[in-house]
Amino acid sequence: MTFLALSPLQTALLAALTAGTIIALYFLKLRHRRVLVSSSILWRRVLDERQSHSLWEKLRKVISILVAITIALLIAVSLARPEIESLTGKNERVVIVLDTSPTMNTHTADGRTRWQHAGDRARALLNTGGPTTEFRVVDTSGETASAFTTDRGEARRLIEQMSPRSVEPQFPKVDGGDSQVFFVSDGVAFHELPRFVRRVSVFEQAENVGITAFEIRSMPSTPLGYEAYLEVQNFGKPAEVGITISGTGGQRITRTVRLPRNEVFKEAFDLSSFGGGGVRASIQSKDDALSIDDVAFAYLPTKRRTRTLLVTRGNNYLETLLKLDNYVELLKTDPANYRESPNIDAYIFDRFAPSTPPLRPALIIGAPAASWLRPATGEVRKPEITTWSENHPVMQYVSVHDVSIERAARIDPANLTVIAASKQTPLIVASEKPKWVMLTFDLDQSDFPFHVGFPVFVENVLAWFNREQLALRGSPGNVEVPLAGAQIRTIDGKTIPSEQQLGKTVFEANEPGLYAATQGDARVHVAVNLANRAFSDVNRSVFKDDKLAAGPRYWLSRELWFYMLLAAVVLIAAEWFTYHRRITL
Amino acid sequence: MSTANVTLFDDEFLKKLEYLNIISKRLFAGQLRAERRTRKRGTGLEFADYRAYVAGDDFRHLDWKAYLRLNRLILKLFEEEEDLPIYFFVDSSQSMNYGNPTKLDYTRRVAAALCYIGLANLDRVNVISFADGVKGELPPQRGKGRIFKIFRFLTDIVASGETNAKESFKTYCTEKRRRGLAVVISDYFDQHGFESALDILRHFRHDIFVVHIASHEEIDPPLRGELVLVDSESQVSREITITPSLLSAYRAEFLRYCEAIESYCGKYQLGYVRTATDFPFEELVLKVFRQGRFLK
Repeated sequence: MTFLALSPLQTALLAALTAGTIIALYFLKLRHRRVLVSSSILWRRVLDERQSHSLWEKLRKVISILVAITIALLIAVSLARPEIESLTGKNERVVIVLDTSPTMNTHTADGRTRWQHAGDRARALLNTGGPTTEFRVVDTSGETASAFTTDRGEARRLIEQMSPRSVEPQFPKVDGGDSQVFFVSDGVAFHELPRFVRRVSVFEQAENVGITAFEIRSMPSTPLGYEAYLEVQNFGKPAEVGITISGTGGQRITRTVRLPRNEVFKEAFDLSSFGGGGVRASIQSKDDALSIDDVAFAYLPTKRRTRTLLVTRGNNYLETLLKLDNYVELLKTDPANYRESPNIDAYIFDRFAPSTPPLRPALIIGAPAASWLRPATGEVRKPEITTWSENHPVMQYVSVHDVSIERAARIDPANLTVIAASKQTPLIVASEKPKWVMLTFDLDQSDFPFHVGFPVFVENVLAWFNREQLALRGSPGNVEVPLAGAQIRTIDGKTIPSEQQLGKTVFEANEPGLYAATQGDARVHVAVNLANRAFSDVNRSVFKDDKLAAGPRYWLSRELWFYMLLAAVVLIAAEWFTYHRRITL
Repeated sequence: MSTANVTLFDDEFLKKLEYLNIISKRLFAGQLRAERRTRKRGTGLEFADYRAYVAGDDFRHLDWKAYLRLNRLILKLFEEEEDLPIYFFVDSSQSMNYGNPTKLDYTRRVAAALCYIGLANLDRVNVISFADGVKGELPPQRGKGRIFKIFRFLTDIVASGETNAKESFKTYCTEKRRRGLAVVISDYFDQHGFESALDILRHFRHDIFVVHIASHEEIDPPLRGELVLVDSESQVSREITITPSLLSAYRAEFLRYCEAIESYCGKYQLGYVRTATDFPFEELVLKVFRQGRFLK
């Protein structure tokens, strides 16, 4: 027996003091009431008979003292919070880690989900241990991490609030040194676990066909032409899979394929018949156990001709290029006749810059002098493009590594995005506000117009200025949008809470879907899809052969002091009852 | 004791008692004629029996008609009415001074009523108070006019001392006494036992009537808890814890004790009646004594 509140010596002293006090009080002589009776003949007969024949009469006083001492000791020792390991268990700590990875949504043969089974296992673990056992409930999504508590009700409430998340799971940092760690999981998302973790498996074989990739991409050969790339894999027995790709305008592509086990279906679907807007891909198959990977989203930019004013003294390369572009409505003027017009979507200033910045985005060629532009601080001869940003929208499918430039102006790139540079000399820069892209060299002084990437570059610039972009891709969980202070909405118009972090907007997308981030005129779409082979392969478990781990069980579910006080109350009641009936003294 | 206590009964109650008669199971010879018949054949008017004439018999009682029919001398016998000595033994030990009303008060009334009835029937009434010996004795009284003397005697009795009925009866009976009806009114709490005391009276061939007085507090003691019980006679004390079971055991013991007295009386054909002090006195006299065949 150990004591949680007092030391053994203190407890012994307390017990001795209590017992001594009770005995002293018991032998304190009370003056009894004297009652005169006519004769004691009959009383004497009764008493003599009872006292001589009843063992109880002889033991009554001793038993009464023992009962009183027992009551006092029960109360006194309960203050020391005793603990008997065989009855109540020792003061131990149990960490229950619940796997909240997406595969826990997989349905089992009984119609429930692996997550529901995990909840049952976790609650069963809470029923183990002793009254002083402290529990901590943690999940793998980072959403729930309780402190250690003996309040099993609180732990149960936490488990009720938890649910599988479509985010990349991560095994929490738990200390296995002084705690028992149980991990309730299907073993799909976690193949490596710390040695001290005791596995509680909820795995059950299941059939699943899932979308492992879905995206819309532009076709370099066709300006504003897009295709949808879809990848579907069967992780169960051979199945007929129905594939549907639908657009917001009611366009629909359907296909039925037969997929053998582990076979992958890959195809790019031409979306030329689709209007702009959200595109949804879904699959249907029999006995599919996981639905979260049966749907994926993407965004198809709206096709629209851009009214472009070319301000130049004459540039055949540009004029020819823009005239041939079906999605550009070209207007041309010379710098002397330049007037800003509200009907223009974009400007291209060739070796010219107006005194005031235009209200619409502009592509500026040749680093002309203007107060709203960076002044040239010098000239760089034969600069070689050494670095360029492939991820910037204007550089998509554009290669500039072999572009030759005769001369370029040197400008200060502070607060500008350098898209391409020669060592420390920026050659292509971009400004977000006002929106413009500037080449610090003349096209005449470069062979850039003769490269295959030049039309793509111009197309990308105009698209970046005015046209809608393809959706950014993200996975369920925290999604970052490179747009400060943006408002996030679902495709249905429902606002999603978001936070601002380092000039970006971050929101939590628990489920696959298409989200729109809006900030002023700027609008960015984000397609959040699970599309992950690791999650869709719901049978790739390392827990298959695990037996159910169980926590220790003890006789008593509360601390010993509770039962001691309960026993004291029962004894007091019994003593009260027997005392008033003069059974005890 | 006040004047009110001296007049223990009102006139109306006394008149009722006049019509009652004490029944004795035996008939006793008396020195004076009374309204009670005895076995003694004599000069009374009531025919009793016949017997053969022997020399010396009174010729006046020969039945001449029988002589003519039978040709034998047959003598007619007549019952003679004589008075009856009644001895009222009143227990005046300390234990009688218990209860509310006290057993002694109750005993006084019972004794007074019986004495009055005896006097009214011209019986010879003796009243003796006893405890550990004969404490007082009222000489034989006869006639209703002596009732107040008896009242006074009863009133002057003071409860004291331990009970020793055997010694008391022995002392009283060893003096020359006529046989008669001995009415013993007591609580029968006698350390020496009630049997030996009554045996003394039986030995002297008295007709015995036992009146057992118990107070309500003795039948069902209103006691509870830790107590020191003090014997009123011996002053011996004893610590005791009164429990329900102990009370039950006491009540059973009390009942056994009463049954033992009753059984003794039944065995020797003694009259017996038991009463509690909270039982209405008038009813006791008029009904209980009639049920006990004490009065008719």
